[in-house]
Amino acid sequence: MDKFLFNPIRLKIMSSLINKSQCDFNYLKKVTESTQGNLSIQLKKLKEVKYIEIEKTFSNNYPKTSCSITKKGKIKFEEFFNSLIKMKNS
Amino acid sequence: MNSTQKQIETINNVINSTKENLKPLSINLIFWGFFVNALSCFHYTFPSLVQSTKYSAALYWTIPSIIGMFFMVYYNIKIRKNIGYETHLSRVIKIIWGVFGISWIYIVALSFYLKNYHPVPPILFLLSLILIMTGLIVKFKPVTLGGIFLTVFTFYLNFNPGINLLLVNIVGVSLGMLVPGLSLFYSKSINNLDG
Repeated sequence: MDKFLFNPIRLKIMSSLINKSQCDFNYLKKVTESTQGNLSIQLKKLKEVKYIEIEKTFSNNYPKTSCSITKKGKIKFEEFFNSLIKMKNS
Repeated sequence: MNSTQKQIETINNVINSTKENLKPLSINLIFWGFFVNALSCFHYTFPSLVQSTKYSAALYWTIPSIIGMFFMVYYNIKIRKNIGYETHLSRVIKIIWGVFGISWIYIVALSFYLKNYHPVPPILFLLSLILIMTGLIVKFKPVTLGGIFLTVFTFYLNFNPGINLLLVNIVGVSLGMLVPGLSLFYSKSINNLDG
């Protein structure tokens, strides 16, 4: 079982990205109910293991961060979810 | 979050918090329904004014339509920014309508070069297919039925070449876009589709 997704913030990020093609930073902040700093750290960690991709652009002179899940991230999330179901049923 | 049950609940809650909002799609359909109808009615009422020169009718139809396209693209981008995310469903809808926009430009450009090539029948046929696809994707029957009606109507058009294409436009776009768009706008299930 992927221990990396035990972190609640990371799990919420992955759950949020699984059914979307793209998510903005502010939306993820709202969903995860975390601080800006903590969310940035968790996103960076997810990016390092290549579970997500981060795109940084500028919109009206303000930096904008968008995230999307990678193929590897999808597989890992599905494996994690299936393990949870197995554990629940056993 | 130690228990397995709690983790499953977290995943379910986050996924279920995403709802596909179909209101922007309905506004797109209503806008284009009104827009094409307004252009068709004006053309039908004042044909001598619209067809005063060789290319005036072509310009009358292309320039406002392109302005309309830019306006709706701007509207859709603004809506996307406000929501903060894009679901796979909305991405698919965006792509197929983008393909329709490009095909529309291609058909109109072709009609400038080819003699006796009227762009209305192929555009209506393409529109009908896109409407059927959209209706099936969002699982909303009036949009699918609007597309089916338009397909049958376009088929009928081939056997009645003498029919006034402006009237065809009005009837086709009203029943293919305006009515389904309005029913989608006032539908109770508009916000209840999972993304």
